[in-house]
Amino acid sequence: MIKNVLIVDDDREMLLALKQGFRKYEDAFEVLLASDGLKAIENLKKSMISMVVTDLKMPRMDGFELLGHIREHYPDIPVIVITGYSTPEMERLAREGGAVGYIAKPFLIESLARQIITTLRRESEGGTLHNVSSGMFIQLIEVEQKTCTIRLEDKVTGKKGILFFHEGELLDARVDDLQGEAAAYEIFFWDHVNLSIQNGCALKERRIHSEMQHLILNAARRKDEEGAEEVPLSAMAEVESYEPDPSLNIKRIKDKIVDELGPNCGLEDIYQDKTWDNRVMHLSGAGEFLNLGELILGYVDKGDANDYILIPGEMTTVIAVNPKCPRDKLLQTLSESG
Amino acid sequence: MRELFNDILNMEGVRGLMFFSFSGELIFKELHQALPEEPEARNWSLFIQSLAGMRETDLIFKKGRLYIRRTEIGYLVVLMGLFVPIAMMRLNCDIVMPALKPAKAVKGFRRFFKTK
Repeated sequence: MIKNVLIVDDDREMLLALKQGFRKYEDAFEVLLASDGLKAIENLKKSMISMVVTDLKMPRMDGFELLGHIREHYPDIPVIVITGYSTPEMERLAREGGAVGYIAKPFLIESLARQIITTLRRESEGGTLHNVSSGMFIQLIEVEQKTCTIRLEDKVTGKKGILFFHEGELLDARVDDLQGEAAAYEIFFWDHVNLSIQNGCALKERRIHSEMQHLILNAARRKDEEGAEEVPLSAMAEVESYEPDPSLNIKRIKDKIVDELGPNCGLEDIYQDKTWDNRVMHLSGAGEFLNLGELILGYVDKGDANDYILIPGEMTTVIAVNPKCPRDKLLQTLSESG
Repeated sequence: MRELFNDILNMEGVRGLMFFSFSGELIFKELHQALPEEPEARNWSLFIQSLAGMRETDLIFKKGRLYIRRTEIGYLVVLMGLFVPIAMMRLNCDIVMPALKPAKAVKGFRRFFKTK
């Protein structure tokens, strides 16, 4: 899904220069322009915006007011502030207002583009899916009790929407200027969608109070009434790059260790680190050659303050433990849990 | 070299031992089980490179375990079953460590005389 970045500045030349400069990044994002805060709000209502880059000093509605509006109504949208009148106080206010970036003019277009691309990457950090039934996928989110933000695009109309989940509960939805249940209902009506998953949910307040099943069933009933076809299960086979949320796996491992060995078990950190993948692959290959079968886990002492336990997977999971850790017991626990 | 590793090789559940140089050359091997392919035929350099920086490594596989120790002249790799007591293995490896050092050139007049 191409992402829209809204740039807000009253300096027309600046807007045109940015639009021109960002042309070479059009594979990553599209640029929309607004000349002040009020125009930006109109854009936010009409289009699915992934990010806002705003100047601070503007007529009618300045950057701080716009930032406040976005934090209240679109908390999922990251904002980068650019200003020609930078002071430490302004930067502090912008950061406290929720800006994820603050750049003083003049700046290099490339450095702003890099910041935009890095921030946008978070939108699909949990994976992307193509051509799935929104209702079916959403039920998986509920079952897995995920906390995430899902952006969807209806393949038929090209409409875009967003769903906010906290521990599997649907908090809110948004499509164009619709919010809450009406927006969720609209999204569940979409048969085939492309979607991207962002881990975490910026929204804290619940705006949908109906059961999700109720909304999905109502949307299905509406589809039936309109003669819409049920989406075949095979649609799920077209999954391109969905990866299960690594944070769930990490939490499961952590819970298992703490349950078995208690809270003072010497566990320091659990994380995923692809820099280990190659090494793990070669260690695993040696075991296969020696007829030992699949590598389940490895314990590594590098002479650091912590030792490391490696669990092979799509990306290697690394468990850092301090010397207090009962090593053999921990290895036994982890190898038994698979 | 076999004598040096006797205590390790005689432990219950130990299936064999290999010693590699830092460049991946197989210097010594004794395996108590047959393998589909001879270990000498394999290029071990990537495996040895992947151990870089590791002092001690314990790899648990579905059907067995590899206990690996870095020494001053290479890597000691013990092939064993899943239930070998690891503390005893560590102790036996600690005992052989001083012997796995580069040979020192004898300095001074001692180099002209035979040692008893």
